[in-house]
Order: sequence, then C-alpha cells, then structure tokens
Amino acid sequence: MKKLFVFLLIFIAAGAKAQLSGGFESNSSYYVDDSKIKLEQIEAQNRLRSNSYLRLDYKYKHFTTGIQLESYVPKALLNYSPNLKEAGLGSYYVNYKNDSIGLDITAGHFYEQFGSGLVLRTWEDRQLGIANSIAGGRVKYAPFKSVQITALYGKQRNGLGFDFTAGSVFGLNTEFELSTLFKARKISYGLGLSYVNRNEKTDFNALPPSTFLTSIRGNVKKGGFTADAEYAFKSKDALVEFGNVRPELQFDGSAYLLNIGYSRKGLGINTSFRRLENFAAYSQRNLSGNVFNEGFVNYIPSLTKQYDYSLGNIYVYPAQSNLSFEPDRNKAGEIGGQLDVIYQFKKNTPLGGKYGTNVSINFAQWHGLKGIYDAAQRKYEADLLGFSEKYYRELSLEVRKKWNPKLASVFTYLNQYYNTRFVEEAVGEVNANTVIVENTLKVGKANSIRWELQHQWADGGFKNWAASQLEFNLKSNWSFFAIDLYNYGNDNANKKIHYYNIGLAYKQGAARVQANYGRQRGGLICVGGVCRFVPESAGLNLGVNLVF
Amino acid sequence: MKKSATVVMLFLCLGLSVPAQQIPAIKLADLEGNVFNTGQFNDTKGRPVVLAFWATWCIPCINELSIINDKYESWKKEADFEFYAISEDDSRTIKRVQPMVNGKNWDFNVLLDKNQDLKRELNLLNIPYTLIVKDGKIIYRHAGYVTGDEEVLFKAVKDNQ
Repeated sequence: MKKLFVFLLIFIAAGAKAQLSGGFESNSSYYVDDSKIKLEQIEAQNRLRSNSYLRLDYKYKHFTTGIQLESYVPKALLNYSPNLKEAGLGSYYVNYKNDSIGLDITAGHFYEQFGSGLVLRTWEDRQLGIANSIAGGRVKYAPFKSVQITALYGKQRNGLGFDFTAGSVFGLNTEFELSTLFKARKISYGLGLSYVNRNEKTDFNALPPSTFLTSIRGNVKKGGFTADAEYAFKSKDALVEFGNVRPELQFDGSAYLLNIGYSRKGLGINTSFRRLENFAAYSQRNLSGNVFNEGFVNYIPSLTKQYDYSLGNIYVYPAQSNLSFEPDRNKAGEIGGQLDVIYQFKKNTPLGGKYGTNVSINFAQWHGLKGIYDAAQRKYEADLLGFSEKYYRELSLEVRKKWNPKLASVFTYLNQYYNTRFVEEAVGEVNANTVIVENTLKVGKANSIRWELQHQWADGGFKNWAASQLEFNLKSNWSFFAIDLYNYGNDNANKKIHYYNIGLAYKQGAARVQANYGRQRGGLICVGGVCRFVPESAGLNLGVNLVF
Repeated sequence: MKKSATVVMLFLCLGLSVPAQQIPAIKLADLEGNVFNTGQFNDTKGRPVVLAFWATWCIPCINELSIINDKYESWKKEADFEFYAISEDDSRTIKRVQPMVNGKNWDFNVLLDKNQDLKRELNLLNIPYTLIVKDGKIIYRHAGYVTGDEEVLFKAVKDNQ
C-alpha cells in the first residue's frame, strides 16, 4: 500500500497531461423463495448479495498505475468462492511501457497468456468468479520487431489482492516472427517457446516442489491456408484425489494440438485436433479439480462451438484433462477434434435470394484415451492415438437469412450426445436435438422486436425443454424482455418448472442499468469452456455498469 | 478499507482535471499475423476510427457486423472513416475468426485481442461494444447492439468528419 502512495505522489508532483480512466460494475440480487424454488437454509441468512468492482487506471507518459477495488458485501452472489468475501483491493499494478525501446515492465498484478494458453494463462472473468492474476514482476522485451521475450515471477491471486495460492509461478516465453526476420514474402511463419515452473513446497520428502510445463509451437500461413501445431509437456507431479495429495503416485502429462484452415471470400474451413493427457496445472496442488476454478495456471478450453442461446447451454462439454482412477471410469484425458465450415450463398442466386444466405456447420467429437488402466494399483498406460468411450459429440447447422430490409432470421439445429457418466462422473447419457429460430423485425427507424423460439428433445438428463424470448428495443436506449424456459419433459413432476424472467435495461453511452425478476435455472454457467455451477434461484437482480 | 477509500478519493481528485481517455497502446495480431499497435489509434489524422468489439460466439455481435457489412460500401462513399472489428475470442474459438470473416465476406480490418488485454484496459465489460476514436479521444461509446444502432453509429461518424 505504501508503495502505491509513493507512486501516486510522484504522479501528482509530475502534474499535467496525465489521464484517469476506469470502470464500475455492480451486480446485486435479492433472493426470494417462491412456490417451486427455495434457497437452502444455510444460504437463506443472506438474501441480499452483491458483487461490485471499481477499476481505476492512471496514466502519465510511459507510466500507468491502477487498482481494482472489489466488494462482496454483505455476501458474494450465490456459489462464488468463499474466498471472495468482504471488500478491499482486488488488484494493483504499476507499469512502464516504452515501445521505442521495446520495453514493458509491470510490478504488481498482471494478466498474461503464453501462446494458446496451454501452459500459462491468467485472466479475469467476473461472471465465472475467475481472477487468477499473478502478483509479482513481469518484463516484456522486444529487442527486434520480430522477437518478443517475456519473463515473469509471482504468486497467484486467490481471493482478494493479498490472498495467494501456496505455490509460486515462474514463466519464460519467446515468440519469433521468423518470416519477418528472414524478410519472407507471401508466406508468414513463426515459432513460440514457453517454460513455466510451479514451485510449492510440501512436507513430503518424496515430492519435489517444482513441476514444470514446456511448450513448442509453430504456425505457417500462405494465401488462404493456415496451419499451426503445438506440443506441450508437464513434468511429474503428484496425483490429487478429492483434494488429497498422493506423493507416492506421480505422473507426467502432455498435450498435442493441431489446427488447419483454409478460407477465401465466401468460404471458411477450420479443423482442430487435440489430445490431452493429465494436463491440468494448478499453482497449489490440492486445488486440483476444485469447483470454483481457483488456482488455474493454464487454460484448457473445450474445443466445441460456443452458444449464446439458453437451450444450447444445457449440455455443455468441458474439456477433460484430469487424471482420475475409478473401476469402469478411469480417465486420463481426452482425444478428438472439430470441423467448422462457413459458406455464403451469393446474392441473386437460387439459395442466396436477394440478400445472400449464410450457412455454418460445426462437428465436434471427443473421446477418452484408450489404454490399459489399473484403478486398484493406480497405474495406466495410454495409447498415443487410441479412442475409448465417447464423451461428447455434436453436429450443428446455423443458417442466417435476411428476408427484406426489415426482417432477418437465424435458424439453428443442434444434435448432441453427452456422456453424463464420464463428463459429470454421474450416471446416464443424453441424446438431444435442439431447434432454435430467432427473428428480428425493425420497426420504424430506431425500434426493433426480437423473438426467439427454442425446443429441445432429449432422451435423458432433463428430458424436453421449450423456451421463448421476446424483446422490444426502443430508440436503442431501452430494452424490455420476457423469457421463459420450461422443462416440461422432466421426469420429476416437481422439476417441471417455468424458469421465467422479465426485465428491462437502459443504456446511454457508456452507462448501462439492468433489472430483472424471475428464476435462474440451476446448472453450469460456461464462458469459453470454463464453467461455474450455480444452484437454481429466484429473485430480483440489478446490474449497473459505467465506464469513464 | 480506510486505506482503500483514501486511495479512491485520491484517484478521483486527480481525475477531475485530466483529459478524456485515450486508447492504450497494446500489441494485437491482425489476421496476417502482423503485430498491430493500438497506440496508433491515438493519431487518426482527423478521421474517425470505429472500433467494434465482437466474438465468433456472440450472436448480437454477428448481427451487428453483418448489417454493417451490408452497408459498408455505401457508408464508405458517404464518409471518410476507418473500421476495425476487434475479436475477443480466446483460444477456445480464435481459430474460427478467420473462417468466419472470410465465410461471411466481411471487408473490415480485424484484430485479435486473444487475452482481452485491450478490452480490460478500456474497462469494457460486455460485447458487443463500439467506440469511435478521433485524434486520441474517444468521442462515442455504445454498449450492446440492437437493430438500428448501426444508424446511430454512422450518424456519429458523419458528424465527426
């Protein structure tokens, strides 16, 4: 804190030409019990809950300093980590950046990603309760335009700004834009190398404190073709079972990633292949597999399409990177891939019509790793290219069509297979078909109506759902909406619930206020393949945000 | 808490007399793999520059960019401006950006903000989000997108020629 004051005082002394910017966000809920949905007794003591964030950045010449204040008073919203409590400094930093000498130095909290994030990513996602910035020091140096070197060291945030996980993290990353270096024309290629070391001392003599992750990756691009490949390795670390570190059982891990794409005007194709084996990394061992997403060092997104529609998010596949032993349910990772094709039918053709038609197709399929598993002995040997149980499969088709200057539609069809037994480590499996139609009608010059109709047929899990959303937008400032998700097919009569919501939002420039009343479906809220579990709830929600 | 409150007060006092926010200088990649420094948005030579933040999975963002793309040619004839679509896709979906941009025939400049550094430093909470920058100043902001917002955006572009 004292250091922060000193920096601030320097800036005050420096005076003019400085600039302040910031943002404020607050989300509050008042939870109620209604005929179908009730808060759990232990949660019912705090019906009013609020998460608020105030970020302030102050820039003067090459220096920027900033803080983020966070408040979880009287209590954080339902099912955020218990480490997010009370109010105080969430993060703070001082940065010096001078592009003319290629230098960027940060002391305090920082966010960083090496390559695709397979070996290191720190980021903030308030909806998921993720804020795993590293507090310490980071230096980025670009000796030439085509080379970038990053070195960092620190402790990872877990809770507020002075709460850290037990381990420390050291990272070194280099990116080489080789084609720039060799002055290549019409082709571009590059290389990246990363090293990350997590150091956490334990009382176990058999367990070395350090575990490292390395990554080597390359990319090439010529004309419409792109390709990139990455191999990453994790050194031996103890198996963690239900939060218990097992120093006598140590396993290493690996990741292979390959992407190939082709695109030209009107056509885009991308394919991805990935194999993960025991590749989760945490800055504190016993956080392995924790439900609040705390202590992540690396980022392992599920490589499937991400949906904005509510019924597209009932069965969401999270990447399976952990190692776990259980008779008939051994898991060491995942293997699979996805394919995307996007095509535009031209204007004034039979399928294109007057305005053109856009079609997107996605296919994704993921399996467990085939191999020999011995759950009793905690031993396994996985094949490099072997597919065992199917964890997830999806096929989706999206068609966008503009009918006339006023009316546009989006049709989505989604076919899913979801292996609940392996993905959630529960029972059963689900085959689901979902159809979604969205229409937007422009009324007058600045008003519009948006209407969504969704239906899901499923043979397991929650069974059938129907959903609809109606939205009126007035003069681009006001929005009024009503949503209903109805789980009419649920086998349990008490769970045939209408999850309705009505609300309004007002926005003006950089300010936005939203209020809604209704029910929240329980389940996973997922952003970018990382999910947070929320229990179902009912109540009034108020959100405010402002940027300045 | 007392200390934090004092810090906030200090910041706010400092803020009273300072100029409007600039665009932070952050190195992003374009679709060709070249490095693009966003600091150059602070010297736009008198022209308005539109920054539209989007992602491949964000339906209103795609609606917005599709409509703007339909009107882009005629807008370009009416006004002198630049347009950048800044993708907030992270490594889960970033490989979809180029196929989508080409597959949908978009003519904009596209930049990749793969760990949301620019979005974070601009304090943008949700996408879609549009800004207009002119000579180092953010002169227009708009959160969200509903049909018709593109007309308001283009009017702001024309008013700032």
